[in-house]
Amino acid sequence: MIRNLRILRRMVAAEIAQQSIYRGAWVIFMLANICTPLISLLIWRTALANGAQLPVDERYITTYFVLLGIATMTTSSWMAGFLANDIRLGKLSSWMVRPASLLLGFVANNLSEKFLKVFALIPMLGVVWWIFRDSMNVPPGFGRWALFVVTLVLGAILVFTIDILIAAFAFWMDDVSALVQARVIIGSVLSGAVVPLALMPEWSRGFINYQPYRYTVSFPVEIVAGNLSSTELMTGLAVQIGYVVAVGLLARFVWAAGIRAYSAVGA
Amino acid sequence: MTHTHAISAHDLTKTYTFHQQRAGLGGALKSLVRRKYETRLAVDRVTFAIEPGEVVGLLGPNGAGKTTTLKMLSGLLYKTSGDLDVLGHTPSDRKHDYLRRIALVMGQKTMLWWDVPAMESLLLHKEMYGLSTVEFERNVAELAELLDVQDLLNVQVRKTSLGERMKLELMAALVHGPEILFLDEPTIGLDVVAKARVRSFLADVNRLRGTTILITSHDMDDIEALCSRVMIIDHGRLQFDGALDDLVRTAQPRKLVRATYATPVDVGPLTAFEGVSAVEVDGLTVRLEADRARTGQILEQLTRLGPLVDLDVADADVEEIMRDLFLRRGEAS
Repeated sequence: MIRNLRILRRMVAAEIAQQSIYRGAWVIFMLANICTPLISLLIWRTALANGAQLPVDERYITTYFVLLGIATMTTSSWMAGFLANDIRLGKLSSWMVRPASLLLGFVANNLSEKFLKVFALIPMLGVVWWIFRDSMNVPPGFGRWALFVVTLVLGAILVFTIDILIAAFAFWMDDVSALVQARVIIGSVLSGAVVPLALMPEWSRGFINYQPYRYTVSFPVEIVAGNLSSTELMTGLAVQIGYVVAVGLLARFVWAAGIRAYSAVGA
Repeated sequence: MTHTHAISAHDLTKTYTFHQQRAGLGGALKSLVRRKYETRLAVDRVTFAIEPGEVVGLLGPNGAGKTTTLKMLSGLLYKTSGDLDVLGHTPSDRKHDYLRRIALVMGQKTMLWWDVPAMESLLLHKEMYGLSTVEFERNVAELAELLDVQDLLNVQVRKTSLGERMKLELMAALVHGPEILFLDEPTIGLDVVAKARVRSFLADVNRLRGTTILITSHDMDDIEALCSRVMIIDHGRLQFDGALDDLVRTAQPRKLVRATYATPVDVGPLTAFEGVSAVEVDGLTVRLEADRARTGQILEQLTRLGPLVDLDVADADVEEIMRDLFLRRGEAS
């Protein structure tokens, strides 16, 4: 464990060195990350100002979209396509003959990119926060913010594990890009990244509340923006932990079976 | 199975299952509905043992099964059947204790991080293999000197040439001092100077560290320079396992002789001499093939033909021998 952490630290350092070369790219990524929720925020605020009847108020909508950028950035994962490619093209081989977890490189890539993105995102978020400071729900005390951070970390782990699970199918399938694309599209809707889940139709409430993607983005943001009761908070946290464990175990099982089927193509 | 061998394989077999798809839109649509799966025997009951410190060449035409064998030995592939023991481990378990003792260099796959200097990859290996700082620095200094790459360690890998990159790959693979080094086409694409450097480095590593080396290469100069023993795999079967000299002797039992004289000579008596064949005369030069067992007597005959200026006796080119061997086997199958 300690050795893996030391390897991870070294990999993160190398990744940061590597990604710093392309500094223009992450500024553009961050602008895109903040612009999408900002545009959504303006649209929904305009709708409310024009008398739209929504099940949530303006303060909820504003807080939700201001925090959405940081939530999607923190919990995002982009490794499924890359990992699937490494499996399909046999590039996994050079990692398989070395004494370390095969996924450490992807964890390092994810952490280092997020570390760099934070530097661009925080100032942008600060500006947006300052603009909308009077129309946001800011929960008093430390509790909800701590829970926000914990659920963001769990959400990040959940997204990452879903990605491993999807990529692992590349051990048997020639092309998993359709699966990856489906995950991105379905995930962006069901996670609340496009439309707040609170605005989903009432009849879908049961499904929406308990499907896994809610716990990747929406749930952490709801903790700060919404009025979740203590029971709803604890239930949500338990469901999120349950998904992390269940998907984690499933991904581990599929991955282990996949490694046996690995054909290490290419010389 | 004894553990005194570095590598021991008994009836090692690997089969692949894959689906066939016809080219074109029709084939693609058909394969969506119905797929025809086939099983291919890549390695077929191969048995061999390699002792610590040996340098063995694994040869064979494309698709013969040599790279599949190498991948099973290094733990990348699971065997379908048979026994395989490398340094007392089952490679496919990929236990860290095992992976710390081996290294695999694939000529067409990189271990190095592309956008950062090679030193970053070496430092990563320091952590992966649990090397102390003293040990790491000593190994880096020794390898950098042997490979003459001191000036390249802090250059972005993508800015190095192919030859330089291969040297850095070898350095990354050997920095932890593996007991076995698996090499898959290590000199592919390199120029003659870089090839020579890599060969002499590998010979040094074997001599100085006692590293067992198993190498696949299509470049017979690699094999001649490094391997005292070769194994030939074809159609998944081990066709030959022995000394390179024995292979040459078996496949080409004649020596090539070239004699140059000061004045024209009559080669008539030679053609009648036992063990002589393929006599050719080109001006003052006479070329012939001589039976190995009678080479001494044939040379003596040559000295009697006239005033000798130059004499050259050589084995047939290994590359030619291999080409003939693979062609013959290909036709036979």
